[in-house]
Amino acid sequence: MSTSRENETAKFILGFDLGTTNSVLAYAPLDAENPQVELLALPQLVSSGTVESRTMLASFTYLANPNEVGGGVLDLPWTKQRDFAVGEYARRQGAVVPDRTVGAAKSWLAYSRVDRHQPILPWGAAESVAKISPVTASQRYLEHIVAAWQELHPEAPVAEQLVVLTVPASFDASARELTREAALAAGLPHDLVLLEEPQAAVYAWLADRGDRWRRALKLGDTLLVCDVGGGTTDLTLVTVADDSGELVLRRMAVGNHLLVGGDNMDLALAHFVAGRFAEKGTKLDPWQSVALWHSCRNAKETLLAAEGAEVRRGSPDPAATGGATSDQYPISVLGRGSRLIGGTVTTEVDRLSVGQILVDGFFPHCKVSDRPARRVASGFRELGLPYETDTAITRHLAAFLQAHGPAPDQPIRPTHVLFNGGVFKADILRHRLLEVLGEWFSGDTQAGIPSPQMLGGSHDLDHAVARGAAYYGWAKHRGGLRIRGGTARAYYVGIETAGLAVPGAPRPLKALCVVPNGMEEGTETDVPSDEIGLVVGEPAQFRFFSSSTRKSDRPGELLSSWSLDELDETDSLETTLSAVEGAEDDYAAVRFRSRITELGVLELWCVSTKNNSRWKLEFSVREDAGPE
Amino acid sequence: MDQLQILGIVNVVLFLIVLGWPVASILRKWKANKIAAEKPQAKIPDKTETKPPTAKQPPKPAHSEAITLLATLQREARFVDFIKEPLDGYSDAQIGAAVRDVHRDCAKVLDRLFAIQPMVDQEEGSSVEVSAGFDAGRFRLTGNVVGDPPFHGRLVHHGWEAAEIQLPAWSGTQFSARVVAPVEVELA
Repeated sequence: MSTSRENETAKFILGFDLGTTNSVLAYAPLDAENPQVELLALPQLVSSGTVESRTMLASFTYLANPNEVGGGVLDLPWTKQRDFAVGEYARRQGAVVPDRTVGAAKSWLAYSRVDRHQPILPWGAAESVAKISPVTASQRYLEHIVAAWQELHPEAPVAEQLVVLTVPASFDASARELTREAALAAGLPHDLVLLEEPQAAVYAWLADRGDRWRRALKLGDTLLVCDVGGGTTDLTLVTVADDSGELVLRRMAVGNHLLVGGDNMDLALAHFVAGRFAEKGTKLDPWQSVALWHSCRNAKETLLAAEGAEVRRGSPDPAATGGATSDQYPISVLGRGSRLIGGTVTTEVDRLSVGQILVDGFFPHCKVSDRPARRVASGFRELGLPYETDTAITRHLAAFLQAHGPAPDQPIRPTHVLFNGGVFKADILRHRLLEVLGEWFSGDTQAGIPSPQMLGGSHDLDHAVARGAAYYGWAKHRGGLRIRGGTARAYYVGIETAGLAVPGAPRPLKALCVVPNGMEEGTETDVPSDEIGLVVGEPAQFRFFSSSTRKSDRPGELLSSWSLDELDETDSLETTLSAVEGAEDDYAAVRFRSRITELGVLELWCVSTKNNSRWKLEFSVREDAGPE
Repeated sequence: MDQLQILGIVNVVLFLIVLGWPVASILRKWKANKIAAEKPQAKIPDKTETKPPTAKQPPKPAHSEAITLLATLQREARFVDFIKEPLDGYSDAQIGAAVRDVHRDCAKVLDRLFAIQPMVDQEEGSSVEVSAGFDAGRFRLTGNVVGDPPFHGRLVHHGWEAAEIQLPAWSGTQFSARVVAPVEVELA
């Protein structure tokens, strides 16, 4: 990572956080002495014909009925006569017109069982709705932010600025490539850098701390970044290492893509409260259920804040619950028509049950040897996405720490925890997670080893990722602390072994390691292997796998067996060998060569063993996995 | 003229004076209701047809920022529904259940759009000084207001001030310029 391209025309560094539920842009002028990171106000439709600026763009698209368009109701300051809306209005429409609203496009980007270029969203919507692809939806959110930037800074075109775009650490190479594709289509520059979100959260913390970070972390420390957003949970471990006398940060592990987050918590509470209504004989219609979900989100924030206060004080204290001495908390669903009070239904929930549902349901006490319940293949798949069967984040965390321990059955011990994501605005959830970590890794006061601690400092949980991205861009351009780590995963190409064919049985598949875990940006490597024969002029297709847990595999290593959760299959790779000049053979013998570009893009090449010809492998467009 | 007849005329005049205005008002209301009742059937589908065929600019909508604010409070906090609903017949508990949500969401709107803050930091009840050259729009002096500033007194109200004004921008048609909440129709 020696040289970052010197961009002469760039005036700003832009940090894009393309989130599952909200997207943010933070920026910093390049000519300032210190990184001055600001958030861009994002004008967006909040209702038909009404535009308001917010710091977050809701990552939703509303595909309007043609009759609703016109009269300028979907106009934005920079565009007229749109037939769709993104942002807050789209999010609100999701509650009342779900069949025309696209949400969680980002989770779809990472779901390799469907073709992410096909118009499949909203998932399961009627034929008459002009659906869009997950890539297009992501492109629209970025286009919107780009346009908002251009309105404010016409003198600084986005394509000429230094741009950092964040992705979940758990995104594999194909999900990253799709994100890139959406970004380029939205007008982001070709030299845009992808940064992992938990790392961005660490950068935001570093930006806040300045040089004082060295007092908080010391050599050998291990930082757990726990990022629980609206829909996903992303785990990362960063260690503090020594590099010729200087402390450096190294990202050593990332977790799998977990589809569980704050929305699940609201839904769990809503489900419970709907049960309470049912006991009283009140049946909620679909609209009321959505309204209840909204009420429960507010109740969650209020109740968890109060519970947290109690935990801090050590005992239940009426003053801590905002003066309300009752253990009951009212939850209302307002009447839908203009008769608000008359149509309102109310029930009371006791704080204790709510605490149990949210805290014990999502952050239960468990053993570090516990494992999340397995995903059932034919299980609950309401939206098509593979939501986690086990919503216990602590069990997922236990599995993650076990997978990256120094030895089997010996989990890695984090010394510090950095929280990110809106869920952790609730004190009680941070406390619980630290409590559980404390049970797993109890401190030893005599030896001076404390149990895992929370990193101090001010945390802007909603905007930290975008801020961190902008700060990272600044540090990359102007010089400053960087987190190293290279690729978070090792990658493998599936090779069918030669040998006698057994009728009815597929040939045994072996996995050839082509990219080792931790391969640095700006490096490339030959993959030693037997020669692989490819037919010229025909597409050659390879199955492609990744692993976040196999760390010692070197390029060229051939795995003949692996356990199911070790290797994840992702989109296959393909290339078509052009005819080699002067060669008469109709097949070519090749070996692989892999490269990670300066921008962190994985490239895999087939290199002829006879001459200098080479062919780049591209992710194939899936033909087998259309809309189900 | 016979006394009875005079009394009769006086009565009629009195009757007209007493009832004349309400009758006119009732008539006006009845007419307006009739128009309003006819509107949804007749006016809305006609909207595109009655447009002149030439590409003429539509008249500038009679838009007001106050309507935009009301619409925001209604959309996010059901403010207008709440204020317009007669409270008769509801128990305090029923009203309380609804008002909690309305109150919370109204506060969120005020915070976001205006960031309303107290104008002075002191506790209400403490003594404060109002220095010379103060803006009469920012300070209201009550009680024994004599002499010249600086004035000394007890802080009764800390005042409220909008730290910013972030009203939504509106881009609707002349037909929706005064809409606080649109008609909502659910399609099966």
